[in-house]
Amino acid sequence: MEPKNQCEPNIDVSRRSFIKMAGTGLVASTIGCNGNPSGGEGWMPSQYEGNGNLPPQVRGRIPIDPRNLSITRDDRKCILCGQCAEVCSKVETVMYNYELPLIDNIPCIGCGQCTLWCPTGAITETDSLSELINALENPNKHVVVQTAPSTRVALGEEFGLPAGSNVEGRQVAALKALGFDTVLDTNFSADLTIMEEATELVQRITGKLNAPIPQFTSCCPGWVRYCEYFYPDLLPNLSSAKSPMSMLGAMIKTYYAEKRHIDPKNIVSVAVMPCTAKKFEAGRPEMNHSGLKIGDPSIRDTDLVITTRELAKLIKLRGLDLLKLDPTNYDNLLSEYSGAGAIFGVTGGVMEAAVRTAYAQISGEKPPALLFNLQPVRGLAGMKEATLEIPNHGEVRVAVVAGMGNTHNVLERVQNGTGNWHFIEFMACPGGCISGGGQPRTALPPSDEVRSARINALYSVDERATIRLCHDNPEIKTVYKDYLGEPNGHLAHTLLHTHYENYSMHLTKKEKNNKVDSGQ
Amino acid sequence: MSRGVLVDLTKCIGCGSCTVACKMYNANQWIDDRAATNGERAELADENWTVIQKFRVPQKVAVTDQVPETADKANREIWRFVKRQCMHCKEPGCVSSCFAKAFQKTEAGPVIYYPDNCVGCRYCMLACPFKIPKFEWDKTIPVITKCVMCSNRIAKGQQPACVSVCPTNVMKFGDRDDLLAEAKELVRNDSRYVQHIYGEEEAGGTSWIYVSDTPFAQLGFKMDVPKKPIPSYTSTYMHSTPIFGAIWALILTGLYFFTKRKEQVKTKEHVEMVKKDSSQTTE
Repeated sequence: MEPKNQCEPNIDVSRRSFIKMAGTGLVASTIGCNGNPSGGEGWMPSQYEGNGNLPPQVRGRIPIDPRNLSITRDDRKCILCGQCAEVCSKVETVMYNYELPLIDNIPCIGCGQCTLWCPTGAITETDSLSELINALENPNKHVVVQTAPSTRVALGEEFGLPAGSNVEGRQVAALKALGFDTVLDTNFSADLTIMEEATELVQRITGKLNAPIPQFTSCCPGWVRYCEYFYPDLLPNLSSAKSPMSMLGAMIKTYYAEKRHIDPKNIVSVAVMPCTAKKFEAGRPEMNHSGLKIGDPSIRDTDLVITTRELAKLIKLRGLDLLKLDPTNYDNLLSEYSGAGAIFGVTGGVMEAAVRTAYAQISGEKPPALLFNLQPVRGLAGMKEATLEIPNHGEVRVAVVAGMGNTHNVLERVQNGTGNWHFIEFMACPGGCISGGGQPRTALPPSDEVRSARINALYSVDERATIRLCHDNPEIKTVYKDYLGEPNGHLAHTLLHTHYENYSMHLTKKEKNNKVDSGQ
Repeated sequence: MSRGVLVDLTKCIGCGSCTVACKMYNANQWIDDRAATNGERAELADENWTVIQKFRVPQKVAVTDQVPETADKANREIWRFVKRQCMHCKEPGCVSSCFAKAFQKTEAGPVIYYPDNCVGCRYCMLACPFKIPKFEWDKTIPVITKCVMCSNRIAKGQQPACVSVCPTNVMKFGDRDDLLAEAKELVRNDSRYVQHIYGEEEAGGTSWIYVSDTPFAQLGFKMDVPKKPIPSYTSTYMHSTPIFGAIWALILTGLYFFTKRKEQVKTKEHVEMVKKDSSQTTE
């Protein structure tokens, strides 16, 4: 007899045992022993476990287009807590503020507040880091970076500093260490924005410019898109001045390139912003004013925008410790700023900066002390108002709105003529850019305590500044004298102003249920 | 009382909450190249029991639309999102095709699936007019997967997971007959809707029914689904299979005994012949 192969499995299935097995299976399945049906091995958040047909109050999530330039979502991290839908619909009044069906886009203003409310970090800014790293590693590219007013008072939080710590110098040092060729300050172009915007305001008030009053600020890209979506009839009220980021972007590719003798084609213009909507702003087709001036429309004002969070990520990725870096100064071209430019990052800051310069332009006098601490427009209230008496002119009434949910009363009063303001500042994020959608994540939802700390940090920059008026900034004077000419002049208009697009046909705005029909 | 879901496609904003809910509740994996949400390429797969597909549809322009501002409307495409999952037929083809009884239609409405019973023949995939059942091609011991309408949530008195999370109430869960009446009312009174309730008659009627403002043919719905229930095509001759089997058994048994008898006779004759021969030799 042959020895039995050890590898062969010892299976003895006789005909009898096979018939037994088949019979058992047949009987079992006939009488209903089926094991468990598939499905239900996972879990659902408790709000969805109620019985009956009523939907939970807080449910679902916001829709995000996969091609959204500002925000992106990792579906596998989403737990359907509903917080993004809460902030989008209640704080920013975007979601649910349109009738269904959708038309041809998913309405989003890019503000990124959802990235701050999302507890699992499923929603984040759309990644720009990989592209930035490529640019930094390319020896043929001259990478210029600008930093927004608000990033310096929040970046430290990512490295263990308390909220409101000002890390301006160390931020510059970190950017230098990361390989950026030049580090410029958006605070400078905040001053530039005020020059353009205040001049435009004065022209509107004095009737030199045939444009409606009140003038709206236009530096917040979330607000601009909101106005384009929901209040297209008020687009002429928007100041044509570009945002500080896009102004500096245009200056980098033209003025800076000329001064430094660099081919603008080889410049990569990067912006570190507290904001996700800035990514979308930089991608707007018309933001190539520098390219049009140079004669190559493919040249963009701003090539890449990274958020404060992305900068922190990059610093950590490179193994740098922000706290151990020696504070460095900004490069000495397009970087000098006034205290008024520094407070652009807080709600009411643009207004305060603008009225200081407008006061001086209208009256020809130095602004009074009140305008250097304009309490009525400071603080976290969603809507603030102030009335100023300007010599040789009269009253100027201003308003400040933060959070798009607070805009409706103001804008409806502008529409029906009962709002008699001259100038209104709008910011998409509650508290202004210091609490922007690209800022470091804090407690959920973001607390007013952190917002106030960051706000106070920016106000103290203004307090300590020796120059506190945009038009007193010596570099601003130089730029106008050597290059731009007059504020709102021809070249200034080419490089520093833009136009807006009526986007209302891309959604059907929801009519308020309680709104009384005007015909009745 | 058979339950169902009414899907109003005009309300879908493409957020994909339903697809997340489905993954969470059924513990299905996310697979990178098989996105379930948000896309023209989202497809049902063994791990994607429900998906949201995006469609760009040429827009119909109303004749009265003479506003110059919107003059370019004629060339525009509009976006529509479509939720896909098992339709839960009233008389499902998968159930009738499954000889292992792995598919069963419950009284509550869901068509459920018992993986332990499945032999992996994949007849259900051929039988389904909507191409819903998927096979786990990547697994060593694969079974079939598909949406089971959260049958155990329904048993507890809850809505299916996808229905409960929808932020814009695209879906309504309830008695199928009530929902159909509601859908008819909606389509009759609102001129935006096309005059077709998908699932009312398709495959003999399904538990999930859809209304839409865009023709279903433009939204990837199968328009060649017969109105007769799928099992009815085969039920007449499938019902005769037991008798057919029994007759075959009888014939084959008869043949067996016939050949056995023949062999026996043959052997007997042979043995006798050999005996005879040997006795002759000894003589």
